[in-house]
Amino acid sequence: MSARRPSPAERAAGRRIVTAFLASTAGAIGFAVVYALNAGPQWEGVCLAVAFAGLAVGLAQWGRHLVPVGGSVEEHEGFTPPPDEQAMTAAVLTAPDSPIRRRGLLAALGLAVAALGVAVLFPVRSLLPWNRRSPAQEFSSTPWGPGVRLVDEQGRPLRPEDVPANTLVGVFPEGAVDSGDGPAFAVRLDPERFIRPPSGGHLGGLVVWSLLCTHAGCPVRLYLKGTGRLLCPCHQSSFDLLADARPVAGPAARPLPGLPFEVGPDGFLRATGDFTAPPGAGFWRRQ
Amino acid sequence: MRRTRPRTWLPAAHPHRALAAGAVLLLAAGPAALVPAPTPTASPGPTPTAAAGPAGPRDRGSQLYLASCASCHGPQGQGTQQGPSLIDVGAASVDFQVSTGRMPLTHVEQEARRGKPAFSAEDIAALVDHVSSFGGGPQIPRVAPGNLNSGRELFAANCAPCHATTGAGAVLTNGWIAPPVYDATPVQVAEAIRVGPGLMPVFPSQVLSDAQVNDLTTYVERLRSERLDRGGNPLGRLGPLAEGLVGWLVALVALVGAIRWLGRRAGQ
Amino acid sequence: MIIDRLARALDDRLRLSPITRRALAKVFPDHWTFMLGEIALYSFVALILTGVYLTFFFDASSADRVYRGDYAPLDGATTSAAYASAVRLSWDVRAGLLIRQTHHWAALLFVAAILLHLCRIFFTGAFRKPRELNWLIGVTMLALALANGFTGYSMPDDLLSGLGLRIIVSVVESIPLVGTWLVALGLGGEFPSDYLIPRMFITHVLLVPALLVALVSLHLGILVRQKHSQFPSPGRTEHNVVGSRLWPSYTLRTLALFAWVLAVLFALGGLVQINPIWLYGPFEPSQSTSPAQPDWYVAWGDGALRLFPPWEFRIAGYLVPAPFFPGVVLGAFTFLALYAWPFFERLCTRDRRPHQLLDRPRDHPVRLGVGVGALTFFVVLVVAAGDDILARLLRVPVYDLLDLFRVLALVLPVLTGLAAYLIARALRRGDAASFGELTRADLRRSAGPAPAPRAEEGGVETPARDRPGERVELWPEGGLWRWRYRDEAERVVLTTNRAVRSEEEAVEASRLAYPGVDRVVVPGPPPPPPPGRLRTALRRWGRAAAAGSLLVGLFADRRRRGQRDGDRGPQPPAPAEPGSPPADEAATPGGRP
Repeated sequence: MSARRPSPAERAAGRRIVTAFLASTAGAIGFAVVYALNAGPQWEGVCLAVAFAGLAVGLAQWGRHLVPVGGSVEEHEGFTPPPDEQAMTAAVLTAPDSPIRRRGLLAALGLAVAALGVAVLFPVRSLLPWNRRSPAQEFSSTPWGPGVRLVDEQGRPLRPEDVPANTLVGVFPEGAVDSGDGPAFAVRLDPERFIRPPSGGHLGGLVVWSLLCTHAGCPVRLYLKGTGRLLCPCHQSSFDLLADARPVAGPAARPLPGLPFEVGPDGFLRATGDFTAPPGAGFWRRQ
Repeated sequence: MRRTRPRTWLPAAHPHRALAAGAVLLLAAGPAALVPAPTPTASPGPTPTAAAGPAGPRDRGSQLYLASCASCHGPQGQGTQQGPSLIDVGAASVDFQVSTGRMPLTHVEQEARRGKPAFSAEDIAALVDHVSSFGGGPQIPRVAPGNLNSGRELFAANCAPCHATTGAGAVLTNGWIAPPVYDATPVQVAEAIRVGPGLMPVFPSQVLSDAQVNDLTTYVERLRSERLDRGGNPLGRLGPLAEGLVGWLVALVALVGAIRWLGRRAGQ
Repeated sequence: MIIDRLARALDDRLRLSPITRRALAKVFPDHWTFMLGEIALYSFVALILTGVYLTFFFDASSADRVYRGDYAPLDGATTSAAYASAVRLSWDVRAGLLIRQTHHWAALLFVAAILLHLCRIFFTGAFRKPRELNWLIGVTMLALALANGFTGYSMPDDLLSGLGLRIIVSVVESIPLVGTWLVALGLGGEFPSDYLIPRMFITHVLLVPALLVALVSLHLGILVRQKHSQFPSPGRTEHNVVGSRLWPSYTLRTLALFAWVLAVLFALGGLVQINPIWLYGPFEPSQSTSPAQPDWYVAWGDGALRLFPPWEFRIAGYLVPAPFFPGVVLGAFTFLALYAWPFFERLCTRDRRPHQLLDRPRDHPVRLGVGVGALTFFVVLVVAAGDDILARLLRVPVYDLLDLFRVLALVLPVLTGLAAYLIARALRRGDAASFGELTRADLRRSAGPAPAPRAEEGGVETPARDRPGERVELWPEGGLWRWRYRDEAERVVLTTNRAVRSEEEAVEASRLAYPGVDRVVVPGPPPPPPPGRLRTALRRWGRAAAAGSLLVGLFADRRRRGQRDGDRGPQPPAPAEPGSPPADEAATPGGRP
């Protein structure tokens, strides 16, 4: 048997591997240069990709062409132990002095551990600060209430004439523009066209509804002028403003809650109460 | 950095309309036209019957109107069964509809979509003048550079619900769409804000001041800049599902292909 | 040399060499589907590497922060610290955007690879005894991966992910009795809450990753202990594993895969934009954007929310909102079904035997049908999550698409499941080797009653005990013993993965692997294992660079050894098949065919 010389194929593989590793090196250097020059994410990504791709190609060629692939077999013992083996282990565990045999003590231990387990769950309640009402009450109420003025995004109070026809104006409770459940919108509609009167009432066609979809709480802001319809961007629920914002298509099941309001003595719009129903998505104790 | 929209368009854009417009122009020019006029057979509207006279922009506007608009909107802009009244729509509306190529429609059922404008800038100006003579309405807004930061906030609050925060546009009901904002010039953006074309709500000056409109147009200009796509190919700015599709089609195909190759023995 | 000394020093103290030897000799099946899990593993490694970098720059807080930086439209704007730092990371930190995008792509790939891996395990029945435990761990990791993907997507506090958060909060809120409490405890109040981002952050970077690392380790530990399953073929039985050894072949290939995963991820991270939060803007409770979709792996939930009709009802005055069914019930049912499947299937088939050989998907038509149907259902849901984008691209009314998807979600899974079931039955009972060879007659017959059980579960015991030409050969080699399995009829030669110290050990191992096959002791080793081929190849390549003398020395040494071996005795007959490994290793200069 003669000494084994690398075959031409192996030599070719060796050349390919070295080329790939050199390309990888070039990619790595390129990345350093590109980073130093601040050439942007595209070049950085390409250089790193070349560096790793070079490594990948080189290693793959090496693993496929220069070392034996496949053809090995390993025995598999299986996992059904002989009965005597199991018996031996069981005997160790259940020896006469084994803790397992002390049923009474075990029961007491179990009680103690269970009590401790329940007790350490109590601090979980701290995740919600204590000085609050119950979540359901919290979710049902909003910053709106009698006398709260309607303001726009910049916090400026609104007069009735600030809401022209054919548009949708986002309105917020004064002092709580960033609240999660306060956002509402005002539109001016033709009262003649109302199929159903708005639940919060209207002032010469001016109506205010909650902005939050009653399906999953997304702000319903796609206003289709002329159709009187509002579309939710998240799941395409559609609400008919002329019919008290009832859902007409899509997965929402309840109408948008209305906001009762009036013109205050200062000429600005102000709420006369909270929304006619809790705004946003439904929940168990929602009235 | 910015692709500037050409201010003048060759009238050859749409053969039919161009022919019609050319015919109208020649007729309006009257005796000054030395070249014999081609018969305006392709004219979609009623054949204009304007008498020859001094060629002024007003006359040209009138001629254009009669040729391309009057069949639906009525000769005096009073509207017909096929098209709404143009009285009191204002110059901004006309300029927006015509300069974005939405009007004139070639047939009545067609949906008004953005396209190449049918007329040159001068013709549009003349047409706008003519239609604004029917009544009042918002004038073409003058835009000026505004504040980018405030523009971004205003866009997010007022425009993003329909046009997407990325400006890529979105679907509405019934097959209508809120188009992408990338093709609009600042003036067209401002016109759309003031006029509310189609289903779009109107934003008069009580809602958005002139300065705010300037901020918005500045941000919209910026939004279409490709420099905002710092991360590479924006995938149409369509969002996570497009990214997921690329993840499956590119990454997984590359990787599954690789493991199929790695799993085979060399020479197999 | 240093490595050698270090290894010796460690071995002197820990006696690692027996374990190491066994570990290095571990056999991995060569079929490509066994590497799907590795893609997930390496994506996870990439996630940890890039994620750690991101934590250096990300500020997980809802406090107000003024952004100052290169992104002009936000320069000077006051946003949450989380959003401002994420924009900073994208625009002002060098290489920050690349790492952020790579992280996000890795997350998409991670879940996709897990899903493919799960499909492979499911359709081949690899979850059966003794591997139920690993199935449970795997399904848990899928759930954790989804959860961590979602928190990671939400943390930058941008408008799009804020909408997603709001939806998930609404879904949790819809759970009867406890929903509001869960939300309130999680958020520390109402949405949007200042506690949310810090809590998501610690979950995203510590709790879930730690769990995942622990479960990955457990998953791999169990895999090593149980050894791999494999597809049936000549020489492969319930009692052995056939493939490549960990060292050197599989090590090189798996490292290559690791590098390739990183290459693909960095290429995507640099060239394809993902989640441009600067364009989305900071989250405001009153703002929205359209189209609004989540990442693809939670899109099935979003699709279900879109498709589920507006059905709500009250129980004793208490509301059960519509999102409860598509959001909570569907998700819970999906994961419960995944967890329960191995036990459910065992209950139905009454098959309690351990299985080391895999089914082909066709071997179990019911399982295939159920799996294909379920996959179809979820694909329809994911596509339905993009109904607004589709409606826009196709210019059709979105509610028409909605109705279409409502029908498809119910009908298509049944159709595809049934088709898969029939095709599997046809393939199993007919003679067609592959899907392409199926005839209509096969399909017609498959719809008929009761399949004739053919070759008991796809020929589990393929190598018949007394097949002529099948034998195990053992031989001593320098004080150690090796053995190999040879099947002349099938032209299969499989060599043991490791040498053992005594003949008894070799006999024991070969008896375990091939019970009942005749054993013979052959005097000399079969063709020697290949010499360090790479070393030789590389040296030859660099021979011009003054490595010649070394090479000559090496060759002279080998020649002497070869002659010595040759003197020992006759070689065992060379195998007939040129493609089989020993022929590969034959000392012909031409080498490989």
